[in-house]
Amino acid sequence: MSALDELNRTILLCRDHVSDELSDAEIRRHFQSLRILCISDRRNLSSHSGQTALVTFVSLLSRMGMQVALKIPEAPIISPQPPLSGSSSLRDALVTSSETLVTGATVHIDSAFDPDLIFALGDTDIGYASPPCWRLSGEAWSGSLAANGIAKAQGWNTDWPVGAMVSAAMAASEAFKFVIRQLRLRHPADQIFFEVSRLCSWSFGSLPVPDQDLDLGEIDIVSAGAISQAALYALLRLPGVRMNGRIFDDDLTVASNLNRNMLTAKSDVGRAKVQVVAQRCRSKFMLEPIAGRYIGESVEIGKLAHRVLVGVDDIPSRWKVQRLAPGWIAVSGTSHFNVSSSAHSLGEPCSGCLHPVDDPGVNPIPTVSFVSFWAGLVMSVRLLREALSRPYSRNHQHLWLTPLRMDSLHAAMWSPVPAVRDCPVQCSASRSNLAA
Amino acid sequence: MSVIVEKKFQVEIVYNGVTKPLQVESEERVTALLQRAIATFGITQNQHLLSLFRQDGTLVPENQSIEQAGLKPGDVLLLRPNAVKGGGEPLRLAKSIVGSTFRTLSECGRGECECVTYWTGPTEQDLVDRLEHPVHKRSPFGYEIEDSWLTEFWKQLAQAKRSVKAQLHTHPGQAFHSATDDQWPIVSQVGFVSIVIPDFAAGEPSLDRAWIGRLEADGKWRRLPSVSEAVTVQ
Repeated sequence: MSALDELNRTILLCRDHVSDELSDAEIRRHFQSLRILCISDRRNLSSHSGQTALVTFVSLLSRMGMQVALKIPEAPIISPQPPLSGSSSLRDALVTSSETLVTGATVHIDSAFDPDLIFALGDTDIGYASPPCWRLSGEAWSGSLAANGIAKAQGWNTDWPVGAMVSAAMAASEAFKFVIRQLRLRHPADQIFFEVSRLCSWSFGSLPVPDQDLDLGEIDIVSAGAISQAALYALLRLPGVRMNGRIFDDDLTVASNLNRNMLTAKSDVGRAKVQVVAQRCRSKFMLEPIAGRYIGESVEIGKLAHRVLVGVDDIPSRWKVQRLAPGWIAVSGTSHFNVSSSAHSLGEPCSGCLHPVDDPGVNPIPTVSFVSFWAGLVMSVRLLREALSRPYSRNHQHLWLTPLRMDSLHAAMWSPVPAVRDCPVQCSASRSNLAA
Repeated sequence: MSVIVEKKFQVEIVYNGVTKPLQVESEERVTALLQRAIATFGITQNQHLLSLFRQDGTLVPENQSIEQAGLKPGDVLLLRPNAVKGGGEPLRLAKSIVGSTFRTLSECGRGECECVTYWTGPTEQDLVDRLEHPVHKRSPFGYEIEDSWLTEFWKQLAQAKRSVKAQLHTHPGQAFHSATDDQWPIVSQVGFVSIVIPDFAAGEPSLDRAWIGRLEADGKWRRLPSVSEAVTVQ
């Protein structure tokens, strides 16, 4: 198992734009040679959100093969941060994670580190004039990323870490784009996709943070791959949130999953994905691992739960789940640099209306850590909003998000899902459309 | 009151989060706009999957003119795939099915005529568990399925919640997908598998020398590079 195996889906995604004259090994070397310094003071690490922002950011960087140095104080871990384990100190746990996610992706303390980029948590005093530096800031449901000095910095102080994960994902995108800008592109005009975002933000809406424990109830999760893992990674970090249910997948973990499967470590290669996920969630969620593909109702499997998260790539499988789902389902997927996320209650246009065509391509799927992470994060928020009886409106039933240039006006496009006559699920909304 | 429709106006195309303006003419076909949008963003991969979507989520129909599609000045159109990251799953079948398929094809064709069979299985699964040998006329150059058999076949499949997973037929010499094969598969659904077996299925019952293809979203057949991409023999 080599870094090339582990990063091959990221390299494949780069191939959308990077010149064919560059070898895979050269692209890998560029990712692995990027040095990033993460800085935080004690105050910004004294909240669960600040800790989550840092852990998530470091994990997303490591899964791109990058080198990370930490300039942070000792701080006790406030709440578990799976898959990190083995220490009650946040700094030690992060350093222990060095090279456990992707070969050669180190995390260390090094006072002589000469970084290419710096990222600071909240309003931490940076003390560096160069190189380029961004600040990760945010609140309970919203996150932002700003180049140092262009916006008033805000410290991390909330326990609710959704905004923290937003800012981490946006920061990881800047690191990725920095690498791409060093590479020769097939078309120089493509540089526009990889320009620096000096100021960007994202909000999941102004929702009250639950003031008591929130039981999401019984959830079925179809697929234990990158998107489901990202959703569970996010849900595991939400204080007071509980759930139980089942997770279906027949896949084993392979090296090429490590670039994006947020609950997976190198030592998990060869293990069933459902076992890995169930184990990492055990401290908080009781998930029954079902090591098989969801093939529909059977005596053994019975009916699906009233809430289903679908992270499976295969479009006909999404249709199958949609046909059999007795209640609400959320579906997330990625397409190159884009995220598609939707939710479907009974009677609404379904996932078949949204994705009426299958793409039976059999090639490996190009992905990178932060894109898959966004797909799971959005799905987890949809589930929370559903459980809080605050679902997005019909105009927000589908989100198409491109987390490369979050500073651009149309990085995110919300839309309703129109019922289509040729819906492969033949849902009630599509039949009504047909009758009309 | 008459409405003045501008003949030339600008729309905005969004791809990968980046917005670029494009001039359109009301008589122009949407498919031409789509092609220009693809060219403007320099997209070279999976072009056939891309479509234009309005902000209300509806697809802009490609077979219409800009005017017929109701596009207006300043409309923001999202250029994105119409299918998000699919992954065609190989059909799972028992080894005995391959043997019985070859036996049926070679015995029926007797080394001198083409023949055809279908693999079927439960609609909800990628499983092949039955071989169907249709009533047909045959010659060294082709075959023709009997209409009444076909009607009854579809009825039985629907009642049993089963579907045709793949079509297999023989050729006299080399295996390839002819223009007729392209045009007249028994199923014209994206993802459908067609297999052509050379030499009237004489010799070892193996798919290694067969032409195996899958119907793509653009209506074209794509030859699969290996048997394992279409079939997993259990």
